[in-house]
Amino acid sequence: MEEDSQELHHRPTGVRRAFTMRNSVARQAVSFMPSRQLPYNTLRQAHSEHNALLEDVVDGNTGSAEQQANIIVRELEQHELLMEDNPEAEELRREALRDLPQGLTMKRQVRAQLSASVSHRSSRRPLSFWQRTKYRVSFGWKRSRDRLRNFIFSIEPWYEAIRQIEGHSGSAVGAYFCSLRWLVAADLLLLVLLLSFVVVPQVLHDNYVVREEVPRSVMDFVGGQGMFSDSLLFYGHYHSGGVAAPGPRYYMPLAYLFTMLAAYVAMLCVLCYRTAKSYRQTFIVTGGGVRNVFANKVFSGWDCSVATEQAARLNHRSIYNELKELLVDVNKPVIVMTFLTKLWRYTVNTAVSLIVLALIGSIGYGTWSLLSLEVEHYYWPIAVSGIVTAIVTVCPLLFSAVVRLEYYSARTALYVTLARTCLLDFGTLFLIFYFWATSDKSCWETTFGQETYRLVLLDAVFSLILLPAFEFIRGLVYKYQPKGSPPEFNIAYNSLTLIYNQTVLWFGMLFSPLLVVAVTVKFLLLFYVKKTVAMKACLPARKVWRAAQTETVMYMLVTVSLFVTLFGIGSLFMGKPSYHCGPFRGYTLVVEVVTEGVLGLSKNRRLSALLVFLTRPAVIGFIFVFLCIAVYYMRARSLAQRSMVDILRQMLVIEAKDKDFLLTAISKVSNGEWLYSPRDDTNIQDNSYTWKYLHDDKVRKPSNSGYQFAGPRLNHGETSRQQREDVKSFVKEEGDTDSEFSYRADPRGAVGGREWL
Amino acid sequence: MGQGKSQFTEEELQDYEDLTYFTKKEVLYAHQKFKALAPERVGHNKNAKLPMAKVLQYPELRVNPFRDRICKVFSSSNDGDCNFEDFLDMMSVFSDAAPKPVKAEHAFRIFDFDGDDMIGVSDLREIVDRLCGPEQKLGNAEMQQLVQNILDEADLDDDGAISFAEFEHIIDKSSDFCQAFRIRL
Repeated sequence: MEEDSQELHHRPTGVRRAFTMRNSVARQAVSFMPSRQLPYNTLRQAHSEHNALLEDVVDGNTGSAEQQANIIVRELEQHELLMEDNPEAEELRREALRDLPQGLTMKRQVRAQLSASVSHRSSRRPLSFWQRTKYRVSFGWKRSRDRLRNFIFSIEPWYEAIRQIEGHSGSAVGAYFCSLRWLVAADLLLLVLLLSFVVVPQVLHDNYVVREEVPRSVMDFVGGQGMFSDSLLFYGHYHSGGVAAPGPRYYMPLAYLFTMLAAYVAMLCVLCYRTAKSYRQTFIVTGGGVRNVFANKVFSGWDCSVATEQAARLNHRSIYNELKELLVDVNKPVIVMTFLTKLWRYTVNTAVSLIVLALIGSIGYGTWSLLSLEVEHYYWPIAVSGIVTAIVTVCPLLFSAVVRLEYYSARTALYVTLARTCLLDFGTLFLIFYFWATSDKSCWETTFGQETYRLVLLDAVFSLILLPAFEFIRGLVYKYQPKGSPPEFNIAYNSLTLIYNQTVLWFGMLFSPLLVVAVTVKFLLLFYVKKTVAMKACLPARKVWRAAQTETVMYMLVTVSLFVTLFGIGSLFMGKPSYHCGPFRGYTLVVEVVTEGVLGLSKNRRLSALLVFLTRPAVIGFIFVFLCIAVYYMRARSLAQRSMVDILRQMLVIEAKDKDFLLTAISKVSNGEWLYSPRDDTNIQDNSYTWKYLHDDKVRKPSNSGYQFAGPRLNHGETSRQQREDVKSFVKEEGDTDSEFSYRADPRGAVGGREWL
Repeated sequence: MGQGKSQFTEEELQDYEDLTYFTKKEVLYAHQKFKALAPERVGHNKNAKLPMAKVLQYPELRVNPFRDRICKVFSSSNDGDCNFEDFLDMMSVFSDAAPKPVKAEHAFRIFDFDGDDMIGVSDLREIVDRLCGPEQKLGNAEMQQLVQNILDEADLDDDGAISFAEFEHIIDKSSDFCQAFRIRL
């Protein structure tokens, strides 16, 4: 203690107060404050060896446990809802018990006591029907979720694999593999959907229609050309009428439309939900940005999932380095940038951004020219796809090199690189889509499907073979000649590969239903390849990567790519499918399959009138305005809540300071120093808040503060004269203050301090 | 994952499922892991008490700088020795399903070395020392400044120590805490 107080010499008040508090009455008064009497805190009290008061009250270990259980039970009994004798309350009790930060033994004890006390009381006030239904629904949901979790745990793929990776490279790399696994699961779902509703019926149909055999070659497979262009792989092949196979009638265009619609809508919902959830957790709840850097680094610095000696050593070192860097940053005098420096930085940033945009633009232009070159060579399309894939693979590396020329912080630099790469990826794909959609090719859907198929296939060469090979060579070189930076698992780049592939799938799924199989298989292989790379060729990262935010950004980008795709498909395909091929041949609009085929709008006058009315600009405009108002309302509410949070936070600080003030006052009073204090500044020099308060002329004071520290102020002026007498007598018997406090403390008093906090 | 089934009755499993964040399968899996630490002892008595040294052979715990604290906090006899229920408790708190407040509560106790219900200056120094590992050590001046900075950020009421409310406040704002304070079963 002595040592501590000397070390923090530039902060004398706080330390001295803490120092005095430890040994004084005030310290013990603290443990009787209502907020310390909550059941959650009794846990800590029971384990704190220095808590003299509790040891006084309770003797022996078993007694203390019982005492604790009693306190918790009393606390829980306060909640009416918990104590009723019906299944809903039981469920609530179960959850409350589970959330108790106690050991199992204690939980059992509490549960036994609780159920005993429940059976004593019987429920008098039944729940309303509405509430009961609400609880029932939510518990049913929870139950089924539990059951699902139990099931998922037993089949959870790659559980051990991800655990190993996390143990070796930390949870950030683990998060990458988790999102990869999530994508595989989502794609598997799509695969089942598409196979069962689109591909299998078509196979059945094909078996009944005799077709001539076309010779096949390997290059046909790579390019998706030749005999493959009229195969199950692509849109053009799909039948436009009922399936010829015997059995129930199966109308292909409808199946195709609804399956695709279901697939896209389901993915959109799931992705939006996930993104919103993860965004809320990482950015909104935590107030966004990085604050409390030091406290965060220290309290959430150790990645508990690390399990190998080597990773642990690196983790130690990275934390040490980061702490040092943070300290250097703090110590660095704030450099006031001159106007010229700022101007220079902005100019550089803008110039580089413009150059990169120009580069992306010219790549787009180049792609367009390549596509419009009418080369009638068999390998030409494969060459075009190869060039696009090479560009998409190399450019992110280029961008991450370019960003070093600019003046961004590390985090912004990462986001800027991500944004540029995604712009390139989405832009190129959209451009190819646009090119074919507006071309006058007779079956452009199939051509675009072939394009996406080739992109996925050729990218596999890069991401499954070339890049891992490169990583391995780098790892080997570093192993025998440890120079330069050690090879690390590049999470950003690898995530971009995933996003790119998923985007190609979004675009291509509609025009090449079997593409989903290709992408799923590729992701499966990618998992094993990348796992080997991460475990064998890479060292754990030296910088601790903020996993949570990266994951959020990744989900966000996948969602954006889906939006871009849906926009493209909605604007270009829905209005203009090829008239001569695919399941929608013969229709000028895709929706006509529904409006003509199912609803029969041309016959049903009323329905068509209704639909015409609903699609009028006025109605849609109205809905749009309504949505805008709703968004505005939500935003206003969130702003209001944010300012409320700020106010509450300030109140927390003020209250804490009040508490501190009162504690100081109590300890002074109990030492007899403070009962009266004539304005004699030479007498005691004190920096405490109390003294500042009394001696600061700017603060408004009660009239008597000049000559006396009055008892009433201890209790915010609510104490009567009688109590003032108490304070005096209290001070007289200075030695025996503990008992006085224990007497005054009411362990059950004033619940709710925690709620307020 | 079902070999350990014979050692538990259905009621016991239900009990564990009610009181922890695990499903039955996960409880069984946890028991397997526990058994792997000392097969000869746990084989006879499923709830055998293992000494701290044995428990610390669990890979994630072995390299954790706060390993002894973690064992002490979760040990029902407060000396670091853990039986299966303590181990289950530990894993449940460290699992993905445990909510942030519960994790924060235990993290606070792990960090509160002297057990005075506050994370004081000496606790902070100990935490930083352990985080930096045995190989490197911050200098005295640096340490002082670091502790000062942490207190500036976290110590709202200026009493030179971080109380639980203050700690929870910091953890609430940290997006990384849940990711970091997690051990996969």
